[in-house]
Amino acid sequence: MRVTTRKSLRDLRRSRAQVVAVAVTILLGVMIFVATAGAFENLTASYHHTYERLALPTYIATGGDVAAVASAADDAGAAATGTRAQYDPPMLIAGTKLLGRVVGMPAGDQPELGAIDVTEGSYLSAGATDEAVVETHAASTFGLAPGDTLQVYAADGWHEVTVVGVAVSAEYIWPARSRQDAVSDPHSFAVLYLPEDTVNAWFGPDNQALVAMPDRLTASSDNAVTRAMDDAGATAIQAWEDMPSQATLNEDLDGFDEMSKAFPALFLTAAGVASYVMLSRRILMERPIIATLMAGGARRGRVLRMYLLQGLMIGTLGGVVGVLLGALANGAVTSAYTSALGVPDTIVENYPWMIASGVVFGVLVGLLGALFPALAASRTEPAAAMHAAAPLRPPGPWSRLVARLRWMPVPARMALRDIGRSPRRTIATMLGAVLSMVLVLASVGIMTTMVHALETQYDVIDNQDASVAVSGGTDAAALEAVDGVDAVEATVVGQVTARADGTGYATVLRGFRTDTEMHTFLLEDGTTTTLPASGILAGVGLADVLDVEVGDQLTLVTEAGDTTVTLEGLLAEPMGTYLYAAEDVARGALPDGTVASYDVLFADGVDRDTMREDITALDGVVAYEDSKALLTTVQQYLGLFWAFIGVMIALGGVLALAVMYVTLAVNVVERTGELATLRAAGVPVRKVAGTISTENVVATALGLPFGLVAGTIAAAGFLSTFSSDLFTFELWWSWWVPWLAAAGVLVASALSRIPAARAVRRVDVARVVRERAV
Amino acid sequence: MTSTAVTTDRSVRLTGVTKTFGEGDAAVHALRGIDLEIASGELVVVLGPSGSGKTTMCNIIGGIESATAGGVTIAGEDISDRRPAQLAGFRRDHVGFIFQFFNLIPTLTARENVEIILALTGKSDGRSVDELLEAVGLADRADSFPAQLSGGQQQRVAVARALATDPDILLADEPTGALDLPTGRQILGLLQQLNREGRTVVIVTHNSSVARIAHRVVTVVDGAIESAEVNPAPADAADVTW
Repeated sequence: MRVTTRKSLRDLRRSRAQVVAVAVTILLGVMIFVATAGAFENLTASYHHTYERLALPTYIATGGDVAAVASAADDAGAAATGTRAQYDPPMLIAGTKLLGRVVGMPAGDQPELGAIDVTEGSYLSAGATDEAVVETHAASTFGLAPGDTLQVYAADGWHEVTVVGVAVSAEYIWPARSRQDAVSDPHSFAVLYLPEDTVNAWFGPDNQALVAMPDRLTASSDNAVTRAMDDAGATAIQAWEDMPSQATLNEDLDGFDEMSKAFPALFLTAAGVASYVMLSRRILMERPIIATLMAGGARRGRVLRMYLLQGLMIGTLGGVVGVLLGALANGAVTSAYTSALGVPDTIVENYPWMIASGVVFGVLVGLLGALFPALAASRTEPAAAMHAAAPLRPPGPWSRLVARLRWMPVPARMALRDIGRSPRRTIATMLGAVLSMVLVLASVGIMTTMVHALETQYDVIDNQDASVAVSGGTDAAALEAVDGVDAVEATVVGQVTARADGTGYATVLRGFRTDTEMHTFLLEDGTTTTLPASGILAGVGLADVLDVEVGDQLTLVTEAGDTTVTLEGLLAEPMGTYLYAAEDVARGALPDGTVASYDVLFADGVDRDTMREDITALDGVVAYEDSKALLTTVQQYLGLFWAFIGVMIALGGVLALAVMYVTLAVNVVERTGELATLRAAGVPVRKVAGTISTENVVATALGLPFGLVAGTIAAAGFLSTFSSDLFTFELWWSWWVPWLAAAGVLVASALSRIPAARAVRRVDVARVVRERAV
Repeated sequence: MTSTAVTTDRSVRLTGVTKTFGEGDAAVHALRGIDLEIASGELVVVLGPSGSGKTTMCNIIGGIESATAGGVTIAGEDISDRRPAQLAGFRRDHVGFIFQFFNLIPTLTARENVEIILALTGKSDGRSVDELLEAVGLADRADSFPAQLSGGQQQRVAVARALATDPDILLADEPTGALDLPTGRQILGLLQQLNREGRTVVIVTHNSSVARIAHRVVTVVDGAIESAEVNPAPADAADVTW
């Protein structure tokens, strides 16, 4: 082994606590990168595998003659086409009335496009008329199994069907009725696969054209096939990536993608800084030695390489161990995720580029952290060999200013002055505080904003306690007569495609009375407005999707025809991008339905389960959705989110402690002579350690304002990646959140007193004083 | 003068050398027109009080610092206008330094402390490390770490390190400053022996007793040479006392 390698290894062993602190920080960064980047790739691969296996259509077109649309796609070069019937009728499942979805499937054989994976029971048998396969989420929510029965409401009344199987569908990995209902009460939606003849007989003809492209998942949205479908009369063409399930999952994947870059970047930055501080200290201590070597003619390049080698070793250690742990975590994260979501295919692979990148990141951080100290070493003036210690520098303006604060005890003045004594150390400590604040605030910010967004949506915007679908027999008066009901309003709800300048967006149009109590129309500036007598209001996401602004004309496309309306306002609604219009405007745009809708307000303090039972018992009520159930459900799941936040805060603490420990250890080593002298004079260890930890706390406090700004920007940046037409998140937290985060980082800094005391206690007073006397 | 035949130019010539640190009112004139010639194989002791400029002169001879003005020719090479990188190459080929503080790497053994200068200079054409340690009388302590060696032994390792690049000229700045008398004598004896082998040796010190071993004693005061006296009968290092 080369002597320079031996030196590097021994140097690292001599300061192993600091080396471990730096290597662990690199390890965490690389591990999080490999785990999250790998999970991102694996989840994408898992979804795509399912999509290919179950022949997810590239496009689903609605409107016009769907057979003609499919034929046009076929002629234009599609790989496969087909049609099917899909309707959203009321259902009665296990005593719960809801608005579900039925999808027509060929009895006996799976369709060429849009197949399902039967996981329990069997597929629809040939010639069957009243069999149903239940999508797995609904089966789980309602406890359905083969042999159970449920009822589906059609124009001619309720029909009973028997469950023969439970299936996974590529279209409903995330169960959502539409892009607007990505997050909804699981008891308010269910998908049933029925024989196509049955669906056609009960509800109507095929109304969807399914098209697969030769390059199923990579086709662009504008090609000869989509143009042909458009020309053939399709009013809306939904590409696979815009389907509700995939769009929602993609939001999640984007979050993973961001995490896989941002969090590792934080740790690796901190590790680079800690490595820089540690090696700077070593080179400062070895300055006379390096100068002696330089005086002997040592080549700059070789000295540079000798010290870079130390960074390389730390980086390689952290990188390799991080990659190994990350590879293990990758499989665990992917499996846990696909299991939680019920993704039928789980692909776990550790990609070579990911392993290589992890090691390269570790090595690069080690090298970059060592680069400037090593450059400084290679530029050491040989004359420095004449000095036993670095020459004294005259005090700067800060030291002179502090010297005038005579009212302050000397130890406090010393701690304050030390802030300016080693700018490198102070800046490193500040940076540790900044990075910790970023990690904590970004994590907490995501959490508090999401909670606030849900509360805004369900407590401020959606005022109704329940939405009820009624088919004859019951009217508003009957609903008002139910004990506990405070108010009832008729509403109109239906699917539309909003078009502007050739671009379309499939969404939901909701019609209310212009003086409705059921919905608050919240504008972007925080004020509220009322529904216009004509024209529509829309979620702010529409402006981006269709590139429109207030005052523009939109065309609402439905089976009933086209309606032109003016966009009268954009609403700040966290969940979904809905359209809102006065009841009569909405009724004019939507096709006549067989089902009437009502929104209901409850009196304070009523039992929600009792209200559900009483209202669904009314004659003619075919679906009931508790509007607050989702908030309750989400709040139940918040425990999981808090666990995530807890882990991130703990990691923030590790990061802060690692950087502060290294800077503190450097502080002790650089000032060994002073500290030994103080101890020789009888100053207690705790007081000596106190001066050092006070300096650390002050440097941390100086970093906090920067951390607050950077943390706020990071949190807002993270949230912007989650924002789309499905979710709109504006950073929100209580006033005390940043203060609490700052206090936490300060406490972590104050804890540095403990290792400081240990380090001071370990100083060999006699030896140091003897050496200085030479 | 040495009795060994000298075939290589190991001479030193300083002509009108001045060195000024700082500018304007803060300027410090460390050297004020030094003219000095040291012949190949000569052992010269530069004497002077603290701040006299003797170390600055030593640094200029060794190519550690550049003169503000004047000519510097060492081992036949004019280094007056050389850039730092060129001076490093010059030192690698011609000069060995010994300092008051031994500046050994505490994590390396005696052998490794010598090896590392070879690794960092890329020179390997001189004597082997073991030969060097044997030459300074430390063959049996080659694997000891600095902390396990006495001050004199550490300074001998430093001498072996200085010899590793096979320099023509040895510059020793206060080589006995950190040592007691017996150990100091050993180090002076070592330098005297190296001089007898043909190297030019320049010892900078404030200790006038060391001057007894020199062929010539140059006294520097306030940045100028006050005297340069030939010692007709250099003493053996073992006879020096202070």
